[in-house]
Amino acid sequence: MKNGMKLTALLMALVMTLCACGTKGNESTASAAPGTSTEAPGKSTEAPATTAAEKTGPDDSKNVKIGVLVSDVTSAEALAFRAYYEEYIQKQYNVTFMYSDELADAAAEASAIDNFIANNCKAIISFASADRPAQIETCESNGVYYAVATGTLTDEQYETYKNYKYYVGAIGPDLMTEYMAGYDMAKYYLDQGFTKFGMFGGATPYYTEMHIYRAAGMLVAMCEAGKGTYLGASDMGGMIGAIYGAGCQLTPAKIGSVELCGYVGGYDFDDAWFGKLAAVANDPNVEVLLAVGSGQTAFAGFKQASQKLGDIDCYTADSVKLMESGTLNYLAGKFSASIGPIFMAVLSAVQGHPIRNAEGNAFAIGQGYWVATSAEEAKEYYAVDSSKTEPAYTRNMLDKLYNASYSDFEAFVKAYSFEEIKGLAK
Amino acid sequence: MKMGKKITGTLVIPVITLIAAWIICSSQGVKLFETQLNLLTFIRTVANVSLVTFALAINLNSGRFDFSLGSVALLSSVISSKIVLALDWGPVAMLLLSLCFGVIFGLISGAVYVSVKLPPIIVSLAVALLYEGLSFTLTGGHGVSFANSARLLGFASIPNFLIIIVLALAFMIIVFDRTKFGYEYKALLSGQKVAVSTGIREVPNALLCYAIAGGLMGIQGFISATTNGTIQMSLNFGSISPMFMAFLPMFIGGFIGRYSNDKLGYLLGAVTSAFISLLYVRLNVSSSVQQITSALLLVGFLIYLNNEGKLKGLFVRGGGKG
Repeated sequence: MKNGMKLTALLMALVMTLCACGTKGNESTASAAPGTSTEAPGKSTEAPATTAAEKTGPDDSKNVKIGVLVSDVTSAEALAFRAYYEEYIQKQYNVTFMYSDELADAAAEASAIDNFIANNCKAIISFASADRPAQIETCESNGVYYAVATGTLTDEQYETYKNYKYYVGAIGPDLMTEYMAGYDMAKYYLDQGFTKFGMFGGATPYYTEMHIYRAAGMLVAMCEAGKGTYLGASDMGGMIGAIYGAGCQLTPAKIGSVELCGYVGGYDFDDAWFGKLAAVANDPNVEVLLAVGSGQTAFAGFKQASQKLGDIDCYTADSVKLMESGTLNYLAGKFSASIGPIFMAVLSAVQGHPIRNAEGNAFAIGQGYWVATSAEEAKEYYAVDSSKTEPAYTRNMLDKLYNASYSDFEAFVKAYSFEEIKGLAK
Repeated sequence: MKMGKKITGTLVIPVITLIAAWIICSSQGVKLFETQLNLLTFIRTVANVSLVTFALAINLNSGRFDFSLGSVALLSSVISSKIVLALDWGPVAMLLLSLCFGVIFGLISGAVYVSVKLPPIIVSLAVALLYEGLSFTLTGGHGVSFANSARLLGFASIPNFLIIIVLALAFMIIVFDRTKFGYEYKALLSGQKVAVSTGIREVPNALLCYAIAGGLMGIQGFISATTNGTIQMSLNFGSISPMFMAFLPMFIGGFIGRYSNDKLGYLLGAVTSAFISLLYVRLNVSSSVQQITSALLLVGFLIYLNNEGKLKGLFVRGGGKG
């Protein structure tokens, strides 16, 4: 018996070691949005965008099954996206969303796609990024439309797949948007005269580009305000290179007159991890806690009343309550309806009206965050974002994107700020 | 066994670990215990790890590998927090509710095991999935946040954790070393067939083991929730990970148990783990280095245990030659 227990423990230890050596492949690794390509036209096998005269509405006579690949099923953001598709879109259109389980790796993604195809899904919208090339290739060879939601392909991937017939495109925060989200948040506090910061780096140690770029934005803002450098860098390119050069392991440092007093990265959720977070939050020097994501979870139990907290996440009932109580002071959040346009592009493609860019290729369009710096703003955003009857993008608004020209589609997606969307709704 | 040897055997591992951690920290110009927060982090880790270790050891010593422990902690803390937040009750009420729900869910887990008669490892995985799913459904997947509840967050203090640790240790020693149930538990450990033939009923004994383990995990879930300010949801066996932290202290406890009480050994194993955990905190060790180090320590300790006789022989021969 005891030998059996020891053998089991040895196996557990081996698993723990292997896990530690690996990286989080299923985290979002979106790259800079290639945007509108300047490649020569004509490579696409589909017809270019149609004119306004040819526009028709979505065909609701036949049900369209759409598979949704997800690598995360428990985060507030993932839940909000799912609620928008299942509780709004599915009720408005004759479509059925078929969700995958939580996909931890490329093998699980491949298996889920096979399952979708076997279940007669006509398109797949992907929130999973362990192996996007394999996803695209599988869909292409099976004649199933494929789109990326809340992310973009890397430049290399885009160049490879942009003229694939069944690759619809990608909409989501590109890396410049991620960088600016971090930069703007840090600058918001620096402009108020705060100089002592604690930072939560999220998945930065796992080489997740999205979080690395947000962290780089924060550090560059500190460099500019403090007139100093971090790891010898002070601009965007230099900072990203410096972070990679440091193995994505950041450390506290003085940045001119500004100071990064404490830093914690990773999602260990063990006693040591919480101990590190508590140590940063309890440092009497720290005035502001900045998080590249999940800041409300990481610092919720430890933040001091006098400290400010800024986070990049999404709008939830809890985040609104935290802003009302003053626990959270700055929130750059994705809005759940942001995945509406990619749905309409997919539906349009399935029903024979693919939206292609000016060169006839798949599109790649950047989309940003809603930023709230007060409880009133957060409440207003959340009220719209959580609505099951009047979300940010309603059927009326999305229908205008069916069989739309690329320029109309792009203009619609890029007008993502709360005020702009309110304007579009009118 | 002489008293000196007993004391040395009992304290050697935690003391050596403390000295090593102290030296490593000092070499980096850092004090292991610099502020009260460091002490709080240490005591909290001892409380967390010792509760999980007690809970894991109860069934694992009997050959029942229980993967549902983390999910029992999750579900009991979710339900108790929902009730407490809705009724605006305080932390003591949540602690008691977590304990009660932990006992109930532990008992259900045990009842499934004795009813379906499948290997416990399979049953516990199924129960873990069920409890994870229930927790997810109850919170709509959003988990629970206490960030605005100063009363619940205020529970995390050194005296409160010390009280829980002392009460848990006393409970374990009394129940397993001083009661009929405890004697029967030990008899079943020594040889189930013989024990059953003497009239010991193994099913009620197993059910009570699951209930006690569940109660301990309910308290652990409460500590974790009120310390961190949130309860995060887990699916697809995500709740299993807390039990991994209990393996090293459990084996250390087994070693210490040769020299004194094995429950005290589990606690001292948790103390040893807490020293290591605090070392990671004070030196801000990255998670990958941390996980590799923890795994190597566990493997190293098991290698030592498996080769203890050979190593002693080497030292004795070496001593003779010298």
